[in-house]
Amino acid sequence: MPTYDHRLEFGTFLTPSSSDPQQVVRLAQVSERLGYDLVTVQDHPANPALLDAWTLLAWIAGATERIHLSANVLNLPLRDPAMLARAAASLDALSGERVALGLGAGAVPEAIAAMGGRRLAPGAAVDALGEALDIIERLWDTSGRGNVTYHGAHYRLAGSGTPPGPAPRHTIPVWIGAQQPRMLRLIGRRADGWIVSHFSLQPGDLRRSNATIDAAARAAGRDPREIRRLLNILGVFSEQREGFLHGSAADWIADLTPLLLEEGIGTFILMSDDEATITRFAADVAPALRALADAALAHGAVGQRVRRAAARAQRMEGIDYDGLPTSLAQHAVEPGDVSYQRHRAGYMRGGSPGLILRAGSTQEVVDAVAFAQRHRDLPLSVRSGGHGISGRSTNRGGLILDVGRMNNIEVLDEAQRLVRIGPGARWMDVARELEPHGWALTSGDYGGVGVGGLATAAGIGFMARQHGLTIDHLVGVELVLADGSVARASATENPDLFWAVRGAGANFGIVTAFDFVVDAVGEVGWAHFVVDASNLRELLVQWGHIVETSPRDMTSFLLTTPARRGQPTVAHIMTMVDSNDPETIIERLTPLARIAPLYTQQVQILSYAEVMANAADVDHGAVGEPVGRSGLLRHITPEFATAASWMVMNRDIYWLQFRAMGGATSDVPADATAFAWRDAQFNVVGFGANRERLNQEWDALAHHLEGTYLSFETDQRPERLHDAFPPPTLGRLRSLKRRYDPTNLFRDNFNIDPNAADLPTPAPDAAVVVGTLQEGALA
Amino acid sequence: MTDYGHELQFGAFITPTAQPIRHAVDLAIVAEQVGLDLVTLQDHPYQPRYHDTWTLLSYIAAQTERIRLSGNVLNLPLRQPAVLARAAASLDLLSGGRFEMGIGAGGFWDAIEGMGGRRLTPGQSIDALDEAITIMRALWDTSVRSGVRISGEHYQVSGAKRGPAPAHEIGIWIGAYKPRILRLTGRVADGWMPSLSYLPGGPAALAEMNSHIDAGAAAAGREPQAIRRMLNIGGQFSAEGGGLLVGPPQQWADELSDLTLQYGISTFILTADDAGTMQLFAEEVAPRVREQVAAARSR
Repeated sequence: MPTYDHRLEFGTFLTPSSSDPQQVVRLAQVSERLGYDLVTVQDHPANPALLDAWTLLAWIAGATERIHLSANVLNLPLRDPAMLARAAASLDALSGERVALGLGAGAVPEAIAAMGGRRLAPGAAVDALGEALDIIERLWDTSGRGNVTYHGAHYRLAGSGTPPGPAPRHTIPVWIGAQQPRMLRLIGRRADGWIVSHFSLQPGDLRRSNATIDAAARAAGRDPREIRRLLNILGVFSEQREGFLHGSAADWIADLTPLLLEEGIGTFILMSDDEATITRFAADVAPALRALADAALAHGAVGQRVRRAAARAQRMEGIDYDGLPTSLAQHAVEPGDVSYQRHRAGYMRGGSPGLILRAGSTQEVVDAVAFAQRHRDLPLSVRSGGHGISGRSTNRGGLILDVGRMNNIEVLDEAQRLVRIGPGARWMDVARELEPHGWALTSGDYGGVGVGGLATAAGIGFMARQHGLTIDHLVGVELVLADGSVARASATENPDLFWAVRGAGANFGIVTAFDFVVDAVGEVGWAHFVVDASNLRELLVQWGHIVETSPRDMTSFLLTTPARRGQPTVAHIMTMVDSNDPETIIERLTPLARIAPLYTQQVQILSYAEVMANAADVDHGAVGEPVGRSGLLRHITPEFATAASWMVMNRDIYWLQFRAMGGATSDVPADATAFAWRDAQFNVVGFGANRERLNQEWDALAHHLEGTYLSFETDQRPERLHDAFPPPTLGRLRSLKRRYDPTNLFRDNFNIDPNAADLPTPAPDAAVVVGTLQEGALA
Repeated sequence: MTDYGHELQFGAFITPTAQPIRHAVDLAIVAEQVGLDLVTLQDHPYQPRYHDTWTLLSYIAAQTERIRLSGNVLNLPLRQPAVLARAAASLDLLSGGRFEMGIGAGGFWDAIEGMGGRRLTPGQSIDALDEAITIMRALWDTSVRSGVRISGEHYQVSGAKRGPAPAHEIGIWIGAYKPRILRLTGRVADGWMPSLSYLPGGPAALAEMNSHIDAGAAAAGREPQAIRRMLNIGGQFSAEGGGLLVGPPQQWADELSDLTLQYGISTFILTADDAGTMQLFAEEVAPRVREQVAAARSR
């Protein structure tokens, strides 16, 4: 009595009639609305009474949001496998991972031949299907290098072949429609599902066929549970019972129960174009079958995700993959998954993690933290947007807790401009959502950055001087602590935790919701100047002076890179003026425009959201490690400017950026948040290629620097912790770390080791000391 | 000086890049919003950095309401003509008559062969295109009852049923440059779809190419007006003029009007992968070209 532990799903099988093309689209939308999991259409390219199945599926994908899609089943002899692989990957991406590939060896050979397709004997058609699967699998696999070539009896990718890709967004299940033993054995060896129509079966066929599939699966080293069993069913609701699936809802349930509980069917696909029947089934039959599955099957209607043996073979030692709670299993990504390639790396760092837990709710974060607690020997990275520099949002062989799916942005109180934002939202999304309200929240300089990492560190953005740091807008957080408890932190709830989260959040928990009071911001002035930087030293000093003495409504960033061969050194000055008044904007920008010869200038009045829409919506694919150093400055002194210019001229760094601070960032007392360097007027960041050289040069600058902003720091030497947090701050953080994370679960990002030697207890007025540290005190 | 007198149309040529996933979809929606007539996509199925063009066209069609869609141009060697004909009719039916068949004979034979397609000589590929167009037109023609029988050298159809009939008469537009395929265009197509950047010697080359099309049309007993002359263009909006289609909108309008009045180009398809350029083209250039051409034609 086989059961295969699949999630119990329901689908519709709609007739893609070409005489009323919108009818099938409408019924697909009805299916989605009624809660069906899947909509399927037949594919008979030779039959002009039907719409082309692939075109229709792509259309339905564009006209629905949630429901999954498959042909039932595609006619392989008229669908080239290499084209199909790429088309399916495209549709998977466009639809948001909703595609399954239903395939058949091709019925009605005469009709196929009439269309110009080749006529194959049944045995040859099975071989051709096997070859098609080879090609599809290889084109979907982008983990290797080089082109895919193939020399089969039926299909050839000749010559130098073709590059693999695009990889599907998720593992597209391959479901094969079949009845004959050879095909069933192929399914057992290769496929993710078997589709069959009930009306074509004789008594006992289902059990015999399942047994054939299972035996072939086992012989191939697979678990039979890898293969979903999908059944097309046909029936009529009526008062009187007149036969199988012809009677009341109770009769239907009685007929389907043994198929569910004894024959292992995981998906029932209702063949009907009658809206009343589709509605009745969803209302009266499906819920009862789900309840039965919950009552009688080991994993209930939710089921269990069983990966392909080939994917399981790539699992890493020491991770309890099978012990993952159901809540996390559905979205977890393992090294053998097709989506691993786009989840393994960050924006700036390559990685090869053992398991990526993509939590979608606070409860799932709790489950993920519990899972991490059971894997204390592994690296644990936390990822929101994946841009982390100090926050190593990927690793080798460890766990990633990815909160990217928690990206809600919700207005809690319009009058107070109180907004709740999930850690996985990106700043471009936040800016876009706030704009219609006439609001903005200063963030960083790049819209692709995630909220979670930045809003637990500081957030030095384009409106810093007018509106302060991002963390200065926080009024409360919800976070999951190392012990798995969920805490609120604000000025009144766990205030010390709230203090710690604003600057050292990565050490204390996973923030699952940020409550911000955002600013009323209209259109802003936005300027991009490219200026001559041949005299970089002078340029830096002058820019620094202009910025420091400018009204707060102007915040400016400066970026310079070593000159390209035969070209002058240039600097990019990006400046935001929080005003939509052209005169004010010109007044603020004029000193900057006179600073050095201008190569290009662009000045616009636009929304903060338009400025933040500067990141492409593409997957991260970095390799290697970034090499960057960071520091905070009171002033750009001639001495510092000389040293910094020297580094650029020497090409020890490939870019150097200054961000204006001061202004409102300095209004907040140093002891008010764990980010304590409130007297800094500038943040400076340098990136290089060679860690040793960069460290050597940067260490020599230390006496100019006030401390560091941890978000841009990649140096892991222990001194950096002291640069990031002055003594009283670090002392308080360490004692809080002992309270909230005594076993040091969260240790990946500037770890404050709870067991490190105790520091002297800070004096009550220590914050004052922070403000008067002598130059060189930290060197 | 040949102006074929077609009504002017303006379109976009959008890169079907696979990342960002919705790049082409969102820009197609912009194209519709700013009032362009047509959105077109290149088709290089051997290029894994692009979405599958057919899938993307179908998806875009579902997310737009008014704008017409075409490949620019579809890669025939990797798309089976009988299946393509039914897919095209399906998309035309679903979209309410918004699909047009921009198609080409194929060109990158190493890449085509690497995807499982046949390697053909340029001459063979033109014959194959001719056969494919015959097959597609026959399958769309439901006024005849009998099945389609065409035994070409490259494609055979042996008794396939006709239909479904598209919602409107799908135009067949050919991407072509050399005399033989230009004559084929004149003989069988409804439109010609070259790219300005591929014209040897720039726009002046259009005159001779038009004459090949006109000769092909005449030989088949067709009027030259039966074939719409389209042009894929690229350019840059800037305050200062700097050559063909580099300059302010008025300069563009003058240059495009000239292409209409001199060479009969009536559909301009701009390579545009950003909303701002598309908007300038639709709002600042297209109305001026329409106005200037109308004024010149009425003189």
